[in-house]
Amino acid sequence: MVDALVLKDVRKSYGQREAVHGVSLTVREGEVFGLIGHNGAGKTTMLRMISTILTITSGTIEVYGKDVAKEPDEVRQLISYLPEDAGAYKDMTGRRYLTFIANFFRSGKERDAMVQKGIDIADLGDRIDSRIDTYSKGMMRRLLIARAIMTSPKLAILDEVTSGLDVINAYEIREIIRQIADSGVTIIMSSHNMFEVDMVCDRVGMVDQGNLIDVGTPDELKRKYGKSTLEEVFVTAVKGA
Amino acid sequence: MSDLTNIIRKEVKELLSPGSVISVVVMVILFACIGNLISDEVEKSIEMPVVCVANWEGQEITTEYGSWNAYDALIDIYVDSDMTLDEAKKYVISIEGSADDEDTLLKEMEKADASFALVLSDEFASDIAGEKRATIYQYHIYMPSGMISGTVSSSVSSFMIDKLNDSLSTVLLGPDKAEAKFLTTPIEKGNTRTFINGDAYGDVTPADISNALSNQTMLIPIIIMIIIMMVGSIVISSMGSEKENKTLETLLTLPIKRTTIVTGKIIAAAVIGLLFGLAYMVGMRLYIGSLTSMADTSNINLEDYGLQLTLADYGLITLSMFLAIACALGICMILGAFAKNYRSAQTMTMPLSILAMIPMFITMFSGWYGSNLLIKVLLFVIPFSHPMMAMEALLNDDITLVLSGIAYMALFAVASIFITVRLYKSDLLVTGLSQNKYMSKLKLGKRRQEE
Repeated sequence: MVDALVLKDVRKSYGQREAVHGVSLTVREGEVFGLIGHNGAGKTTMLRMISTILTITSGTIEVYGKDVAKEPDEVRQLISYLPEDAGAYKDMTGRRYLTFIANFFRSGKERDAMVQKGIDIADLGDRIDSRIDTYSKGMMRRLLIARAIMTSPKLAILDEVTSGLDVINAYEIREIIRQIADSGVTIIMSSHNMFEVDMVCDRVGMVDQGNLIDVGTPDELKRKYGKSTLEEVFVTAVKGA
Repeated sequence: MSDLTNIIRKEVKELLSPGSVISVVVMVILFACIGNLISDEVEKSIEMPVVCVANWEGQEITTEYGSWNAYDALIDIYVDSDMTLDEAKKYVISIEGSADDEDTLLKEMEKADASFALVLSDEFASDIAGEKRATIYQYHIYMPSGMISGTVSSSVSSFMIDKLNDSLSTVLLGPDKAEAKFLTTPIEKGNTRTFINGDAYGDVTPADISNALSNQTMLIPIIIMIIIMMVGSIVISSMGSEKENKTLETLLTLPIKRTTIVTGKIIAAAVIGLLFGLAYMVGMRLYIGSLTSMADTSNINLEDYGLQLTLADYGLITLSMFLAIACALGICMILGAFAKNYRSAQTMTMPLSILAMIPMFITMFSGWYGSNLLIKVLLFVIPFSHPMMAMEALLNDDITLVLSGIAYMALFAVASIFITVRLYKSDLLVTGLSQNKYMSKLKLGKRRQEE
């Protein structure tokens, strides 16, 4: 199986402070990989480095064999990044926003097909033609996921994709992620929600204070730490209880 | 559709919101209304004022050449200013009172609704008869008023007394005005000739040329300042808004080159800025037109004195304006990169506004040619000065100043766009200054000092 994402001894410093300490990690093609950790653990920094919007202090990141630092333009052709609490251009309609993004990838009928795919994923009905500033948080998240996925990226990078959503919306978003994964897209996502990660992810990486402290499938980790939930595994791994 | 066109379309639609369009339209209407108001006031202010005249009865001067009294002489002044006799009588009002009885004077002036009165001294006629200089007192009523309209100025009252002197001299010395004029002003001013760019022109003074030039060029610095402040605010706000909504992070991970994003934003802001600037120009033209009509009494046609712009000159001025806007946008993109959100972006327009205001005031008051070396250096360094100075420089055949300004602005614009692209490739755009390594070192240094 091809390696979709390879991090080798990746470090990130902000001035004197090192936020990510030599993380090495491999995500295989078609895998849903979850990063779990508390606030400020370094998950978002890792995802931003993979997404080419933060520079890497040392180490290397490769997306399908393309070096993020040396070939950022090529990497951006392969990825799709959805930041935490991301928004969209509020004066546009949902359809106009999807068209705006699709214009960067395709033209003509191919572009129209891409927009239609986005509309189908978002599943907003008539509201796709409403202005974005009238959308609820759940609707906004569906639109943004549609934006991220309609371009058929090889690697989707999702940061706290269900944070702040109610139970129903969070459930529906998880369903969408599962469907995307089934279609063969590799996904790396971060979350605070251990239940969500347990349900959706094939493998999980636990991050604490900029270190990747353990990696495995949810079942492997539960067995290794002798716990029944991923939450207990994480607490044990971090606090050593 | 190319990536650049896609970005420009998005930016233009975003910037051309109903709110921004309405605010510009309202501003233009407001300028036009204020202009009309000022214009009306200017017309009123140049009308002859109502004048009261007191203590004139019984003080008629009679000589072999005729008779003279202050009331009739004043009526003649008004008739000479294209009024009928009946109209003139409404403007010249005979009242009671004297210099010794100011209470009555005040009451009479208020009754006549006049703010200005000429009061002959009790000895006026006897002094003239005794070949002594006689006195006319001038009384004004202070009334709070605006800059333009309001009470009668001292120059108007002096003008009237001069006219009264002329008419009384004629009665005293004879109807031959030339003789009277000779006695009062024996020296006649000869033809005035001024050398302009090496050629001699008659009947014009350097002050006339300066006034006419400033009337033509004073609009340019104001408009350039407005355009620069407007496009600056647009670009910085757009950056702040992108950061606040985290749309910038998404944009930066799309397969588009950083230079395309920067160029797209700059082009869109320049187009909208110019469009809004043009609208402001129309409004300002109406507003300033009324002010210049008040000041311009010379009716000088600059073309008659070889001071005219060719098509190539206008091309250079347009190029100069375009480069100044490009420089402003470059600065704004750099400042915008530091904005955390929409609100913080608004405060970042301040340095740009100051940079645009400094050359505006200098070019309006002393200009490039009237400034000392230090101010000249300051003017040259601020890129927005160059289009403000270009028109005057071209009228004075100073092409070197214009071309060197264009070269400097081109370099400045390229450098600022280069810096912006570098910033877009750095972490600063996402993390802000707080996570910057130099800021971290600075904070660490301060903390150590405190310890």
